[in-house]
Amino acid sequence: MLQELLEGLSLILRVDTVLMTGAGLVLGILVGSLPGFTTVMAMAVLLPISFFLDPLVGIPFLIGVYKGGIYGGSIPAILVGIPGTGASVATTFDGPALTKQGKSRKALEMALYASVFGDTASSIFTIFLIGPIALVAMRIGPPELAVVLALSMAIIASTSGGAVKKGVLMLMIGIFISLIGQDPIGAVNRFTFDVFAIQAGIDLLPMLIGLFAIPEILLAVESRINEGAKATKPEGERLSWQELKRSARTILRSTWMGGAIGAVPGVGQVVAAFMGYAAAKKAAPDPETFGKGDLDGVAAPEAANNAVNGPTMVPLLTLGIPGDNITAILLGAFVAQGLRPGPQLFSDSGAMVYALLGSMVIACLLLLVLGRAMIPIFARVVAIPRSYLVPLTMIFAVAGTYVYRSNPLDLVFLVVFGLFGYGARKLNFDVTPLVMGFILAPPLEYAIGQTLLLSGGDVAGYIVNERPVTLALLALIPMLLIFALRNHLRARRKAAA
Amino acid sequence: MKLFTNLGKGLIAGALALSALTTTAAAEYPEKPVTMIIPLGAGGSHDLNARVIASILPTYLGQPVIVKLMPGASGQTGTAAAANSAADGYTILFTQNFIDQLQQHVAKLPYDPNKDFVTVARTNFAAPSVIVKSDSEFTDFNSMLEYGKANPGKLRFGHSGNWGAFMVPGALLFTEAGVRPTLVPHKGGGPALQALLAGDVDVSMAFNSVIDSQGDALRPLVSVSPGTAIEGVPTTGEVGIEGVGDMGIMHRVVLVPAGVPDEALAKLRSAFAEMQDDKTYKRLLGKLGENAEFMDGEAYDSIRLKQSDEYKALVDGLASN
Repeated sequence: MLQELLEGLSLILRVDTVLMTGAGLVLGILVGSLPGFTTVMAMAVLLPISFFLDPLVGIPFLIGVYKGGIYGGSIPAILVGIPGTGASVATTFDGPALTKQGKSRKALEMALYASVFGDTASSIFTIFLIGPIALVAMRIGPPELAVVLALSMAIIASTSGGAVKKGVLMLMIGIFISLIGQDPIGAVNRFTFDVFAIQAGIDLLPMLIGLFAIPEILLAVESRINEGAKATKPEGERLSWQELKRSARTILRSTWMGGAIGAVPGVGQVVAAFMGYAAAKKAAPDPETFGKGDLDGVAAPEAANNAVNGPTMVPLLTLGIPGDNITAILLGAFVAQGLRPGPQLFSDSGAMVYALLGSMVIACLLLLVLGRAMIPIFARVVAIPRSYLVPLTMIFAVAGTYVYRSNPLDLVFLVVFGLFGYGARKLNFDVTPLVMGFILAPPLEYAIGQTLLLSGGDVAGYIVNERPVTLALLALIPMLLIFALRNHLRARRKAAA
Repeated sequence: MKLFTNLGKGLIAGALALSALTTTAAAEYPEKPVTMIIPLGAGGSHDLNARVIASILPTYLGQPVIVKLMPGASGQTGTAAAANSAADGYTILFTQNFIDQLQQHVAKLPYDPNKDFVTVARTNFAAPSVIVKSDSEFTDFNSMLEYGKANPGKLRFGHSGNWGAFMVPGALLFTEAGVRPTLVPHKGGGPALQALLAGDVDVSMAFNSVIDSQGDALRPLVSVSPGTAIEGVPTTGEVGIEGVGDMGIMHRVVLVPAGVPDEALAKLRSAFAEMQDDKTYKRLLGKLGENAEFMDGEAYDSIRLKQSDEYKALVDGLASN
């Protein structure tokens, strides 16, 4: 293996590979930073370019677009509170608050360092553990996935702050909205009232922009008397070494959590980001500063969602099975080059596989350099006077929603979710559980539906006889409950004393 | 230097696909870019075929082709958008037969596929094969049928999604053979393959290129195909199941809203026909593991109604079970 690894690395240490990876990164960052333009879309549009390039130039180019796009998505999340994807929702808890305190530059740099560290560490970890990760991925079928998703929902819900009843209500609304449209198992329409436009369901992007950006804009308009003509806070100083060191533990914790979540196919970046945030808040000596502008609150989700990337590549490379849209497009690029990922590719051209994994590490390191060079430009955004920035944000929110898939109905959803989010903010409801329920309920439902079909009606018998991993995971639930209860009681005793 | 010429080609392809600022032709069709709607998501085999077409077709059409992915509701979203667009030849739909002719029997649609569209071309077809793991107890198709008949509902057939490219041929095949397996949907061909390899399901389907890439991990039992698809593997016709070989394959087709001006339809049809002799087109399709079995629009239009009847019978049969 070591020989193949070295051979693979020697294949990609070429000027043209590095240059094209860099070009991909810059394109990715630019596209990712525009609300409504998704990384998947950018990759799909740029895919044909890779058809005409050498595989070890074309594929690293796409990997650059991918990594750049994911980092780019955290830029509007931090600066104006618009998350472009589910993965950057958790970044909006502390990012915009830091921007308001005049620390946008620090936040952008923290996001960059945390992302790069999480991604690089997980890629290296993947290179050395590709065999075991592939074995784990193979053991995860629908019943296991259902338990893991339910567990993550429980963990995130129990550690997120705020009033429990309000959180549960929002979660239920989110789950309900996710049920609208064609049901995934039986292909029957639910809650559509025969309105064709919503048969495909309600899309995440208009919901995210509506719930997060519109209330910010409306609140900014309300406060115009106080800060109207003033320039927004300056971009502030750079991140200091001390601050980075203080977040080192958070970054490490999020990285291993993200890496572990990435090894379970079908869970993904959103869960990792929320889990990383929740764990950082729980471990912090000052949890009350979270959500009010804590640098750890940016580092935690960014390291976690990027650490998912390495292990996600494993089913693609070892089995030829893409785990999500992005790996599906990469699979397309491979195939168009005459490379068919799968066990065959691994045994025939192991060096090639390591070369591609190695190019992911190179892309991460380049991202560090290019990201640092581009941050001052993006940070300048906050120097725009509020009286311009607020309407500009509105334009980007609306244009981004429309550009996403040119569906006018999405604008209606944008407004509806925007007003809903504004009302929720006024009444002190946190909309995050709604988004979480909306994102996690469909895969959970799908996994449960598949489990029911696979079991042939006898779920308990099926799990006991055929799914030992599910049994082990189910056994974790009471243990976690006892643990949570103990912590809860201890905290109450402390409060009483 | 090879890099730069290749890079140049790539950039030209990209630029053609992206920009509208190309030669302004005379006032005849096409005088602006053509949008090709795909009713499916990014990264699937249909998307890949579309990217190849969008890279090559502009040479023969004289205008860029913009790919627009509009997934949702089993392909209905993109199809409805194409049906509602102006019939001027500037919006075309790149779809497949199951979305085109089957959805009308399982959902209430805001369009009528046979009245609202005409065919520009069938670019190629893909023939799936029934696969099991290589250590499966089923050594041939008949042993699977025997097991399936003796144990109704016990055989677990994993497919890539409801009314999709594996579910329809699988259901046609098993219905015709008198077997009732449990149909387990997955989110695409990849997850269905993983479920088969992990032993979650007993049988699945795949296209040739995927079967090749898996080495000796899989055993193909029978191909749903009018002619031999894999050396040494019988076709459905050869194991005595008639009709399925024609109706179960996936045709990739380009449609255009009905009422399109004659000259635009003629130009589109001839551009697709001329593209068949393009070496780069053939080479790229070959790399994707796709054939280039072209069929012209008029010929394909004549088999669409037959598909509709056949799929209606299948849907009614499954519903009455």
